[in-house]
Amino acid sequence: MALLRVENLHVRFKTPFGALRALRGIDFDLARGDILGLVGETGCGKSVTGRSVMRLLDENAAVTGGRIFFEDADLLRLTEGEMHKIRGNRIAMIFQDPATALNPLFTIGQQIDDVQRTHRAGSTRDRRRARLELMASVGLPDAAQMADVYPHQLSGGQQQRAMIALSLAAEPDVIIADEPTTALDVTIQAQILDLLRRLQRERSISVVLITHDLGIVAETCQKVVVLYAGRVVEKGTVEAIFADPQHPYTRGLLAALPRPGSRGTDLKVIPGNVPSGLEAIDGCAFAPRCEFVMERCQRQLPPLMSLAAEHQAACLLHEAAVHG
Amino acid sequence: MAEPLLTVRDLSMTYVRRFGLFGRGAQPIRALNEVSFEINAGETLGIVGESGCGKSTLARCLLRLLRPSAGSILFDSMDLLALSDDEMRLMRQRMQILLQNPYSSLNPRMNGFDLVAEPLRAHAAMSRKEMSERVASLLVEVGLTVDFMSRHPHQLSGGQAQRIALARALALNPAFVILDEPTSALDVSVQAQIINLLIRLQRQRGLTYLFITHDLSVIQHISDRVAVMYLGKIVEETSSEEVFRDPQHPYTQALLSSTPTPDPTSDRQRIILPGTVPSAANPPAGCAFHPRCAHVMDRCRRVVPAQRNTKADHRVSCHLYDSAQ
Repeated sequence: MALLRVENLHVRFKTPFGALRALRGIDFDLARGDILGLVGETGCGKSVTGRSVMRLLDENAAVTGGRIFFEDADLLRLTEGEMHKIRGNRIAMIFQDPATALNPLFTIGQQIDDVQRTHRAGSTRDRRRARLELMASVGLPDAAQMADVYPHQLSGGQQQRAMIALSLAAEPDVIIADEPTTALDVTIQAQILDLLRRLQRERSISVVLITHDLGIVAETCQKVVVLYAGRVVEKGTVEAIFADPQHPYTRGLLAALPRPGSRGTDLKVIPGNVPSGLEAIDGCAFAPRCEFVMERCQRQLPPLMSLAAEHQAACLLHEAAVHG
Repeated sequence: MAEPLLTVRDLSMTYVRRFGLFGRGAQPIRALNEVSFEINAGETLGIVGESGCGKSTLARCLLRLLRPSAGSILFDSMDLLALSDDEMRLMRQRMQILLQNPYSSLNPRMNGFDLVAEPLRAHAAMSRKEMSERVASLLVEVGLTVDFMSRHPHQLSGGQAQRIALARALALNPAFVILDEPTSALDVSVQAQIINLLIRLQRQRGLTYLFITHDLSVIQHISDRVAVMYLGKIVEETSSEEVFRDPQHPYTQALLSSTPTPDPTSDRQRIILPGTVPSAANPPAGCAFHPRCAHVMDRCRRVVPAQRNTKADHRVSCHLYDSAQ
């Protein structure tokens, strides 16, 4: 039973150039205790998906269809008051740039206490003890001192740890992490990813990890959802997707990565550009860039087809394989 | 043996940070600490390191946009630090830089033609017709069309903007181009296009590159040699194959092991470094890496490790290799 289930989610943005279809029917499930990677390039809709779940879309954006179930509740039908109890409390979010997500005017301890008081009861002393334990568990050294410093006194990696402590303060079931390591150096990124894996293991927290980095997905996630132009093109277990990618876009992305031994060869290139989302797309959004394009691809929206127990791809190439 | 186009010897750069009332306090920050390397003509040296390691300061010193505090830079046998400002201005025609974010390095008010023509106007005397032919051929060379002459940066995708910046850098036929994280802001599929283009241009024009990045998978693809920097020093330098086959400095090993690889079945042991890069204003005594190093010995806390050749073509600064010749 999925903890979080997104069904046929559609989101549109109002822009000066017309309606932008950011999400055009997204489906995925997050099982309890899994880390699920939402991966894709700029503009594929991965962050919009995360923000839709939190109901934190900007004012010019609206969900135009679909449902988001958390346990049994459809988040899109909750009142703002009901959503407030879930946001932070049950589903928390961490962002790419902790420096802008943390409040510069309050100490780390005050900010964590703020979340504790809003979401959990307990005496001042209990809260302080819980707070210091929490800060130590995310790897902030000298928690007692660290609680009294302001965000600008921390390094980027420490700020992201503080952000993670903040998101854990209300003991959520799900964390949505939107490019949590993109602004960090590789050695610090390794520390933060290690922390996420440990939290998942020790607290059985479920994580939606939004990233553009396929390497991070391979090393951190159990499940992968590959997005292209606001739709899921492929999803499955990391083993299935990386060992046996079936959508031409997923294959193209993996082939475009420089790897040991690729020196002296041309990297594989996906020609053309990502569609803007402003123009209507009848068939497969990837068709104009696809080397296997067929006449049908221009007209027919490919549904997600099951290729194995936990592996689906939305490509008409697989129609024969599935039905025949 | 190819001739080095660029020879850098013991290059140091110390900034002075002023603080306190009227800046009465002064604190030296050593951004580059006796950096030495060579780049052969037509080859690529990759510089890898994390934020604060001094890689961008190095780029700016090489172009003399910053005056280094000590050391020498020989470019095509000419001592850049001995040149007058006017001579250096001429020299910069042969040395160009491509930056990470084309939207901030390209003037948003200029169209593609003016952006690519600007260096030609500054340095080359040519007629309007010659200039427009030259701009057109540069645009084609970087994989764009003449239509891009009339477009402004905001009308370009990230990859297209980076191509315009590249056409601009190539306008004066430089011999040497510094590539400072040129693909870090780009999506994977676009990164591949730009990397292929850079390699093709190097082959066709015989360019020499200094490629600065934090991404080791990109480095191994494009570089002939690799230098790993940590806190203003080169800690390891060798060929691109060798650094991946036999990384010797514990920092290089940690960097390699921290780089995520797109293979979920790889069961390599991850080395997770504790802590963060210390401040260059207050570097640790001895080896600057010792507070994060798993192999730290007593000596490392006191003595700065000398650079040694552990193999014919492999230089490392680490006490673990003190017994090596």
